[in-house]
Amino acid sequence: MTDLTPITALGASAPRSQDFGAYTLRENSALALVSLAIARCATPPTPFGLTLPSAGCCTTHADYTAFWTSPDQWMITAENLGETDFAATVQNEVPDARLTEQTDGWVAFDITAETDGQIGAVLSRVANLPLIDLTPGKAVRTGFDHMSIFLVRRSERHVTVIVMRTLAVTLWHALETILQRLGDTK
Amino acid sequence: MTRIQGGLINRDKKLNFTFNGTSYQGFEGDTLASALLANGVQLVGRSFKYHRPRGIYTAGSEEPNALVELGTGARLEPNTRATVVELFEGLSAKSQNHMGSLERDLLAVNDLMSPFLAAGFYYKTFMWPRVFWEKVYEPIIRKAAGLGSLSMLPDPDSYDRGFLHPDLLVIGGGAAGLMAALTAARAGAEVVIADEDSRLGGRLLSEGGMIDDAPALDWVACVLDELSSMTNVKLMARTTVFGAYDHGIFGAVERVSEHLADGGGKVRQTYWRITAKQTILASGATERHIPFADNDRPGIMMAGAMRSYANRWAVTPQRDNKAPVAIFTNNDDGHRTAMTLVEKGVPVLGVVDARANASSFGEYETFANATVTGSHGRKGLSSIEVTRKGSAQWLECGALGVSGGWNPNVHLASHHRGRPVWNEDKLTFVPDNNAPKGMLIAGAARGNGSTREALADGVLIAKQALMALGITPVSAAVPVAGEEASAIEAFWHVPAKKRAWVDFQNDVTVKDIKLAHQENMRPVEHLKRWTTLGMATDQGKTSNVTALAVMAELSSQTIPETGTTIFRPPYTPVSMGVLGGGDTGANFRPHRLTPTDTFAKSQGAVFTEVGQWMRAQYFPQEGETHWRQSVDREALAVRSSVGICDVTTLGKIDVQGKDAGEFLHRVYANMMGTLKEGMVRYGLMLREDGKLYDDGTCARLGENHYVVTTTTANAGIVFQRMEFARQCLWPDLDVTLISTTDAWAQFAIAGPNSRKLLERVMDDMDISNEAFPFMACRATTVCGGLRARLFRISFSGELAFELAVPARYGNALMERLLNLGKDLNATPYGTEALGVLRIEKGHSTGNELTGQTTAAMIGLGKMVSAKKDSIGSIMSRREGLANETLRLVGFEPIDSNQPVVTGSHLINLGDPVDLEHDQGWITSAAYSPHVGSSIGLGYLQNGDQRMGEEIVAANPLEGQSVRVRVVSAHFVDPKGERLRD
Repeated sequence: MTDLTPITALGASAPRSQDFGAYTLRENSALALVSLAIARCATPPTPFGLTLPSAGCCTTHADYTAFWTSPDQWMITAENLGETDFAATVQNEVPDARLTEQTDGWVAFDITAETDGQIGAVLSRVANLPLIDLTPGKAVRTGFDHMSIFLVRRSERHVTVIVMRTLAVTLWHALETILQRLGDTK
Repeated sequence: MTRIQGGLINRDKKLNFTFNGTSYQGFEGDTLASALLANGVQLVGRSFKYHRPRGIYTAGSEEPNALVELGTGARLEPNTRATVVELFEGLSAKSQNHMGSLERDLLAVNDLMSPFLAAGFYYKTFMWPRVFWEKVYEPIIRKAAGLGSLSMLPDPDSYDRGFLHPDLLVIGGGAAGLMAALTAARAGAEVVIADEDSRLGGRLLSEGGMIDDAPALDWVACVLDELSSMTNVKLMARTTVFGAYDHGIFGAVERVSEHLADGGGKVRQTYWRITAKQTILASGATERHIPFADNDRPGIMMAGAMRSYANRWAVTPQRDNKAPVAIFTNNDDGHRTAMTLVEKGVPVLGVVDARANASSFGEYETFANATVTGSHGRKGLSSIEVTRKGSAQWLECGALGVSGGWNPNVHLASHHRGRPVWNEDKLTFVPDNNAPKGMLIAGAARGNGSTREALADGVLIAKQALMALGITPVSAAVPVAGEEASAIEAFWHVPAKKRAWVDFQNDVTVKDIKLAHQENMRPVEHLKRWTTLGMATDQGKTSNVTALAVMAELSSQTIPETGTTIFRPPYTPVSMGVLGGGDTGANFRPHRLTPTDTFAKSQGAVFTEVGQWMRAQYFPQEGETHWRQSVDREALAVRSSVGICDVTTLGKIDVQGKDAGEFLHRVYANMMGTLKEGMVRYGLMLREDGKLYDDGTCARLGENHYVVTTTTANAGIVFQRMEFARQCLWPDLDVTLISTTDAWAQFAIAGPNSRKLLERVMDDMDISNEAFPFMACRATTVCGGLRARLFRISFSGELAFELAVPARYGNALMERLLNLGKDLNATPYGTEALGVLRIEKGHSTGNELTGQTTAAMIGLGKMVSAKKDSIGSIMSRREGLANETLRLVGFEPIDSNQPVVTGSHLINLGDPVDLEHDQGWITSAAYSPHVGSSIGLGYLQNGDQRMGEEIVAANPLEGQSVRVRVVSAHFVDPKGERLRD
């Protein structure tokens, strides 16, 4: 175990969290990510019991989620494993897959709402996409404020926004701005 | 006061406001225009060119006259239409476009000079002397003719943006729009209904009347209740759909807080990008007027607007409510205003109807077969001249309503250049079947303007939209409404010797149109540009069709033969702020922060923008007063001991797959297929045209696993081009590419003591020269088990390593290395020292890789392998490139106190400084503490054969001319011994 002390993508010792009326924005620095790719025409594996989803979708099993990133390629995420060598863990699950460590390539911000229907207002300001494509079980890559982001709709009241780690401060500011405005209208 | 009973205003809530510094009161629900009228204010502005007194002419967004400056200070908004400004407590407005007071505008002298200021006057006058145009004439004309003024301060408001993707967008919330939205929503469609007004209801808010045996307003309320309760409906009042764009995309601006006294802490406006599968344009119609002599006095307005003010805002338009009101019309709708006013107890002089057989619909007099031929009242209407059968009489009159018929609001239907067609029965242009794809038109917007027609049309058109959407309509009865009388006869203007205004906002008169005809500016496009008709902020909503009719009459043609008029976005003016949307200043664009950003800030680093990256440029220390002191110290620390630089910004691409080696062999110009595991190789990438576009390293971490590094600037481009090659050029290769730039914090640890420092963090890896030679790489661990990657590569020319760890540990690793290296004077260095070191070593970067660079130019022509095919290799051998003689060399000033300046051009001694004698240019330059003078790199014709030659580096822009000596580009360790040590 290293004796170096990590910092979050926002540059602090602990993940940031802030409430905005009905909404909460939370940095999830404990989320582990790994990119999993398979050879063309190979049969998709089922790491941790996950059925690897088709384009535009995500699947979840226990603390693991998979979302499609390109043909024959997915991102696998795991809660609370951010400090581990998650790529090695996944490699044990699927020895033939090509894995790329992604945990520190990205930062994940969770937006949660108090009631059903409130996340839609956020998504309408984030993504130029029909809300039908952002319902629970959907995951997309899209543009937001000149940044490329993943939106993983985990549930009716929960969406995860994932962006390149180095853009964490910019994305937080952008989401904070939206949520402040929407939260004020609660 | 001219307030009457009724109206949709809240009399329990009084609102104070000022106009030109005078305090007034209105009510909640008023517009600025209705509140001014209620206070007897008719004169609200001056006209564009002649500075004629002008009043409120309409009750909507088509207003040409009542433009005011709203707000103060940085929130000053010029050219705001008083007719759409919702009144709020403390509103402050003032009139615009006058010199001196509104009542005594000194520029009204222009009106006396009107014979000289006719259409096109400025095309013919002010032609001499030519130099006067820009400095004398134009400024004076602009000052005299301008409208409102700008605050010249930054916009202090914030703006938002959002996206909507409904099945159906309904534009307009009148009878047709509401009925269409209701029909579609009941069938289950996702519906957005937007209306520019603060309330939905359209003309029903202005007309009263009955629907389904109940007041029309009750029907509106019921429909809105039902729509509000439906989760598949979004009601958007105060939202102007201003433009129809490709692929069913519409631009809309929602006025979020403009109607609130303090903005309520909310954004001012939201820009909505609405992508709709189907659209129903139910934008209603705009009334047109009938030009007659002196028809622009305050107190003269559209008859329909007069009805709106009476019914919706409980206001009559006279300054004195005992003064009678008259109507001038050619159609039945004008009589409707008279009936409304009579019903409200307003004295009505009568209806002047141009039709021979016109008769009254109620208790008022009708002057049939008559016209209004003049008016009196300098700052407000006092009397009109009515002429019947050649006999004229002046009648006292406090206000005049004018109705020449209604023009469907076809604007958005023509945004894709769809031209409307003339309907002779309705005497108006109606949309043809050429609206933007997916757009249907309903109600008054296609000429079906009665309440009964609009309701039925809303249902009919909504069903068509539902069919297109594949949604089955739910059958529902069309609400029952009365059919208003709507007969009309063509009558376009009253011939007069005096001026009769057609376009109020741009001061275009019937005489101007006659002049345009006389000058052969007859096509409608010429007419517009010659007279400026329809080119003001209102886009001629109240004037274009009338102008066409006048031109048609002059040309003895029909109106459709004369031409049609179409409109461009935006439907009404849109603020630049909302189009920009979102952040300004520091948050205007994204910034990428390096893993050691926290550390660098704690050290007081000075940052520089490198693309989106914010990189530490240098780290000033106490006592250092000039950046050069910091940079020299950092560079010397590397040369003498060890320095550490965050180089995370360099692009990193993970390449995996059984064909990864072959793939890279084809991407790089040099041999890459022979790269052994655990080794790194420098590589060149060419474009298809054979030019060099990036260089970097390729490390082989495993049998089928490589990491490609790129320059910071080209990280995205290289990844994009590699993806293109993977997907399109060689889809048969089994390879996967993943960008890992952000995932790994990477540090250059450079200097003769770099190994000694690195050994203090390595867990158990032997990094001696024997075990880990130059250009080796390995996955390893540091600091007690932290996974890491180590590369033995050097950008500085010194013994150096690059160490990568997961990004979250980057900051801590930097601090750890500096702590452990205190005895070695371990020094953090920034991009400036990085640049100095690489120039001293002769390494090229973006300054040298210009997009026109060949491998040979940087002395690496032999690296482009002729033994294999790779992207750009064949084209690199074409004659034009192979014969390129520019070569990268170094330059030292003859006088070591002289600077070498980047961008200077190289001229042979004694030759003139011009392009013909250009020998090349300096690409990079820096002060080298190692050399003890300024040094440079640059491209020189046959430079590799001119070592020792003296030449001039000329910078004529700044008057510099420095004699320099041509030297090797490698100022440090030309044999490369240090980095192999």
